[in-house]
Amino acid sequence: MGKSHEKLLNNLEGLRKSYGLTQQELSESAEVSRKSINAIENGIYVPSTVLALKIAKTLNCSVEDLFKLP
Amino acid sequence: MDINFYVWLISTLGVTAFAWAILSGRVNWEVTHLKRFILVFVSGLFQIFFAGFLLLELSGADIGWYITSDNVMFAPGIFVFLASGYLTASYYLGDRQKNNALYDEYTALRYYKTAALGYSINGVGIFVLFSIQDWSNWNFELANNMIYRIAAFAWLIFGMLLVWFSVGDYKESKSG
Repeated sequence: MGKSHEKLLNNLEGLRKSYGLTQQELSESAEVSRKSINAIENGIYVPSTVLALKIAKTLNCSVEDLFKLP
Repeated sequence: MDINFYVWLISTLGVTAFAWAILSGRVNWEVTHLKRFILVFVSGLFQIFFAGFLLLELSGADIGWYITSDNVMFAPGIFVFLASGYLTASYYLGDRQKNNALYDEYTALRYYKTAALGYSINGVGIFVLFSIQDWSNWNFELANNMIYRIAAFAWLIFGMLLVWFSVGDYKESKSG
């Protein structure tokens, strides 16, 4: 994870809410802690490829819908 | 009753209850965030208490009471040993889905950051401890003291960081 991850555009919170899921529900289906989802949404943490794919699968979207480079 | 008795009583009851909980089979083996919080938090407190005591003792501070019973000194060590064994066993033998959340990548990152902070502080501490030694009158007693101080300082720092790290598990258990 590089230092420039702050520039990563992140649409997780919006997509999660539009899907009607809480952070806890998303964390359970993606098999991670709620803190992880919270950290990703706030741009504190950039997930691994596997986790990004799991989240995308749960929200029925592609990884590019969740994260974009500026 | 002197303080040794109370420390001995609490330690012995704690370790006995913990061993009973595991061996009796009445407790669910699966680790949760709350269980991990309790184990790591208590282990951290034990480290802080005993390392702090040793550091004060080595610094010549008289805090008014002394641990004289060997059992008292062993009890927290046994607790930390059992707790770490239990956590290690749960990591390899526990439910995979639950462990994915318990040992997820963000928790690993928090752990790395905490450990890195611990090593940094210990590095500064060891530098200071080396700097304040009286090298011109160096003898075995001073060497012994220095080694004890380094060990106690490292235990104190990592004990504090364990407590800090465990708070994340507590918050996670509350949100779940």
